[in-house]
Amino acid sequence: MQKSTTLFFLINCFLAIVLISCGSVTKNYTPKKLDKTSYEVSYFSEPKTDYVYKTNITVYGHEMSGIFIAKKINDTTHRVVFTTEFGNKLFDFEISEKSFKVNSIVSELDKKILINTLKEDFRLLLKKDYLLQEQFENETENIYKSEDGDRDNYLFISKKEKKLEKVVRSSKTKEKITITFTLENDIFAKKVVILHQNIKLKIELNYLKSE
Amino acid sequence: MKTKLYTLFLVLTISITGMAQEQKMTASEIAAFKQDVNVVSKKIKTLSTDFIQYKHLDFLSKDIETSGKMIFKEPALLQWQYKKPYNYSIVFKNGKILINDEGKKSAVDIGNSKIFGRINKLIVGSVSGNMFDDKEFAISYFKSKGQNLAKFIPKDAALKKYIKQIELTFDKESTVVQVKLLESSDDYTRIVFKNKVINAKIDDSLFSN
Repeated sequence: MQKSTTLFFLINCFLAIVLISCGSVTKNYTPKKLDKTSYEVSYFSEPKTDYVYKTNITVYGHEMSGIFIAKKINDTTHRVVFTTEFGNKLFDFEISEKSFKVNSIVSELDKKILINTLKEDFRLLLKKDYLLQEQFENETENIYKSEDGDRDNYLFISKKEKKLEKVVRSSKTKEKITITFTLENDIFAKKVVILHQNIKLKIELNYLKSE
Repeated sequence: MKTKLYTLFLVLTISITGMAQEQKMTASEIAAFKQDVNVVSKKIKTLSTDFIQYKHLDFLSKDIETSGKMIFKEPALLQWQYKKPYNYSIVFKNGKILINDEGKKSAVDIGNSKIFGRINKLIVGSVSGNMFDDKEFAISYFKSKGQNLAKFIPKDAALKKYIKQIELTFDKESTVVQVKLLESSDDYTRIVFKNKVINAKIDDSLFSN
């Protein structure tokens, strides 16, 4: 009897932890009736714009800097290039929601796990169209949940400015990637931070103003 | 028909301009040119110059422009300092690369990196102009609008992966006025030197970050 009570208690604790973790992204927010079914992000979607950012990458304590360049090359695809300050290309990808092509990558960075991480990051960064399934709110923000296969994306939109300030990509139990945007205007982000929760990786983009 | 004629005209114009722009040097011209550059680069003890860097990627609508100042001191002290649109400085010194990125400092030991060593040699060589090493490069020589042009194709496979070709443009004084690093046929980095000062006093302490 004693034993089974302990076991029951442990299972309960475990369940409680799982349930709390499940709702971690929205845990301080109140569910609300969905007020729209789709959302469009326009920070990287203008085909005429060269999106050029000075970039700092911190990975497990190591720092690396360079220039991040993204450009929409057709309806579905972005070209994403990372170079050193000197201009040497470190990698060159073509990326859409469904396809991914490595045009070039230097051998030092040519690791499958790294490429897959960057692919997921950039896909999220460049994603334009979200279908929404649930909504939450607090005093200052609306949060929309958008299912994406075995992951969920949460869009944090300020109530005052009605602007997307943060995207959180999460598994069913844990936050994985957080992207925060500091805006220059309605359609342009002057600063973007991509932060990983499960690995020590942070990518910081600061818009390169041409003079 | 009209289109065909137009195309023909266009092709002719392009090839004529092409010819006018670059003309292969003769063997004696090459010898004289190399001699001139060697004489000038031997005289260079220090060099400081402003530069503008244009990063050309074929899919972009505009080249990415950065600029700053470069200083060099014999035999191999080099500082490359970007001032616009951001502050980033890189020093090559005693087998080390020192970086200062908006105040954030770091150092890389290049003693154990062959490729960095080569790149270092290449940068110093392209600034002073003296990199006519037939063992390292397949070199070709051209004349163009009163300037001389040397094209270097790396022979080393590891280096070739990063740089397909280097083009140095020399003015009448046989000093380098432009470096063009080609990564592929469509993408390159072009660096233009301006306000060059040769053999002014440059203190060693400047090569720190």
